[in-house]
Amino acid sequence: MKLRNRFMKADNLRFISHLDLMRVIERAMRRGDIKFSLSKGFNPHPLISFGPALMLGATTHGDYFDVIIEDNLSPQEFKDRMNAVLPEGIYILDSYEVGEKDLLSQHVKEAEYIVKARLFGELKEIQNKIEAFMSKDKIIIKKETKKGKKDIDLKPYILNFKYISTDEGWILLYIKLTIAEGSPGPLYVINAFNKFIGDKIDTETYRLDRKDLILD
Amino acid sequence: MYSIKDKIENILMKVAKPARYTGGEINSIIKNTKDFKIRFAFAFPDIYEIGMSHLGMKILYYLINERSDTYCERVFAPWVDMENMMRECDIPLFTLETKTPLKEMDIIGFTLQYELSYTNILNMLNLSGIPIRRIERDFSPLIIAGGPCGYNPAPLSDVVDLFVIGEGEEVINEILDLYADWKDRGFNKEKFLKEATKIQGVYVPSFYKEEYNEDGTVKGIFPLVEGVPSVIKKRIVKNLDKSYFPAKQIVPYINIVHDRIMLEVFRGCTRGCRFCQAGMIYRPVREKSREGLLELADKLIKTTGYEEISLTSLSTCDYSKIEELIHDLIEKYKERGIGIALPSTRIDAFSVNLLKEIQKVRKTGLTLAPEAGTQRLRDVINKGVSEEDLLNSTKEAFKAGWNTVKLYFMIGLPTETMEDVAGIAYLAHKVADVYKEVRGNTKNLKITVSTSTFVPKPFTPFQWFGQEKIDLIIEKQNLLKNMLKGKIFRYSFHEPHISFLEAVISKGDRRVGQAIVKAWEKGCKFDSWRDYFKFDVWMDAFEEEGINPYFYANKERDFYETFPWDIIDCGVKKDYLIREYNKAMEGKLTNDCRLNCTGCGIKELDKGVVCFEAKK
Repeated sequence: MKLRNRFMKADNLRFISHLDLMRVIERAMRRGDIKFSLSKGFNPHPLISFGPALMLGATTHGDYFDVIIEDNLSPQEFKDRMNAVLPEGIYILDSYEVGEKDLLSQHVKEAEYIVKARLFGELKEIQNKIEAFMSKDKIIIKKETKKGKKDIDLKPYILNFKYISTDEGWILLYIKLTIAEGSPGPLYVINAFNKFIGDKIDTETYRLDRKDLILD
Repeated sequence: MYSIKDKIENILMKVAKPARYTGGEINSIIKNTKDFKIRFAFAFPDIYEIGMSHLGMKILYYLINERSDTYCERVFAPWVDMENMMRECDIPLFTLETKTPLKEMDIIGFTLQYELSYTNILNMLNLSGIPIRRIERDFSPLIIAGGPCGYNPAPLSDVVDLFVIGEGEEVINEILDLYADWKDRGFNKEKFLKEATKIQGVYVPSFYKEEYNEDGTVKGIFPLVEGVPSVIKKRIVKNLDKSYFPAKQIVPYINIVHDRIMLEVFRGCTRGCRFCQAGMIYRPVREKSREGLLELADKLIKTTGYEEISLTSLSTCDYSKIEELIHDLIEKYKERGIGIALPSTRIDAFSVNLLKEIQKVRKTGLTLAPEAGTQRLRDVINKGVSEEDLLNSTKEAFKAGWNTVKLYFMIGLPTETMEDVAGIAYLAHKVADVYKEVRGNTKNLKITVSTSTFVPKPFTPFQWFGQEKIDLIIEKQNLLKNMLKGKIFRYSFHEPHISFLEAVISKGDRRVGQAIVKAWEKGCKFDSWRDYFKFDVWMDAFEEEGINPYFYANKERDFYETFPWDIIDCGVKKDYLIREYNKAMEGKLTNDCRLNCTGCGIKELDKGVVCFEAKK
């Protein structure tokens, strides 16, 4: 039985990698006495698959993983048992059954992010500045790829970009991006915008949260 | 503006593997810090991934936290990137559990696993704003240390307030009881330490003076005050089955060196290899019952969720019920994909059969440690295995499907000739021939030959030997490099300058301790990490302190000479070690002490000390 799970990962857990997270879930399933299917081969491992990788240091409130289990557990039971044994900071929000051949990767289309960053001094009329930034025909950035740096246009990937609020020197921004093979992440947007407004955001202390992955 | 927690959070994004510094792992212990009389930091002087793999820490962490008056937290050496950020942002070294600066602890307990972590100890103290030399510190925090390297406490005698000699779980509560008592009465460091010397296994270096002969050797370690013991007897757990072993282990988020359940099956070793310090200082052999182990394994799997259990000891296949134990564990857990690992195995057909069972669940590598390349030299070191054993077991393994083998050897062993060294390569080639015999060709075969340099260690029959000179070691390594060419072989070796420093410190006295402080002041740390090891700086430090390192590392010692560690009684008697030394020179073997008692003296350590042989 294949279960699709929407989960959040916050606090210290944001510092663990994709691979680390897989181990955390595997070990939690064992602590929760859940019988999961194992891969064949020299080193059997559970059949878990994740949505697009999240960068180290970012939190999420709406990521997904699929897992195949052998128990006849209801999704609710799976969720409850897992949440009882998962480390603080990671929590399964929702669990539901999908077909064994249904692949998570084919459903993920868009992602929403909240960026929280410290401001250098004051920044007025942020929403106007965002609009000016977005009204450009092209937003060309240099993106690191396996073959080195490449110029790409950010604009077509940005579905939405807006200002939320400012609080004690911290600014909150909302970004919605298309997810596709090789598409740039939210930090490219922040960095390009920061450049546009003349380095007003402290990009060294930002916090990034993936608010949600949107599945079709 | 920022709290220490905020400050840490801000720098974590900028360092490699931030999860080393966050804590909060499954089974780590969070208590309310206000409720405790004693705040204890268990300090491991290396990075998280190494420290978290250490069994002693797992035991002591939970044991100390069982006390209602004490909170034990963990601290590791930050990696260089983190240290730089911490110094830049004015962040003192902090505990993982509550991010409390180390300076606010009552006791910091360092574990001494290897000599080359000593500069890290100094660095960790400095990063905490704590003076390095004990005479410059007031009572708090109290710096204590234990572990195998503590059997020669001399080099850290100016740093550490109190050494624990022997097995920590046996002593630590007595020390904490005494500390709690003094904290109630108003602390007096001198008086506390004086009382502590009454606890067997406690060595307080400030109450002793090391004196020297004109030739530079140690004259003796003499008490400076009345009433302190003239010899410190080690402490041991008498019944391992009944002693404390936690039913939980912390499960790290990131991959650590030994990322699995560690189930200790017995302590000690009966084999009597003459170079092996662990084999001497951890005597006598004490086994846990199979029933107890199975029960513990079950609890540990439930509480950790780990996918692998490693059966640890110095030579796990020597456990008397090993076949039954492995069989039971495999039957119980194979369905769930939980594998068994045997990190310390011997090279006989028996162990290969066990490995065959084990690999049905999870494939493990085949690692064999013949230690020396010729039978003559294996007899000198009392490694009771023959070439036939080795070739038979690799044959079995190749038949069973393995195609990679790791072979561990030592070079620079006493009496070693170039012929013995070449024997290492011949042996590797013979293993390749065996593979060819079994499989018809050597396609897919990989043989890794790895050599370390012999370091003479205190409390071993080889403690009187000098280490071989670096030039000759390099010559031997080059010989092997040339003899192990081609696709099949991979040769790896230890940096001989690092092994040289290890020899200086492991046989060092209090004067060497001065040079360690000097070397740290000049920027040495992470000395066991090849990229950070600064040999020239160490040599400058020795020179500035007027110390001849070759005197410590390379000089042959006289049987009648006093060693800095003679203040310690590890139970194994010197006359036994001398006997073993002499037998080594004659190339005579000593039997496994399970067969009959070899008279090492351990039974006389304390009343009630029973070793394996005596139980039969």
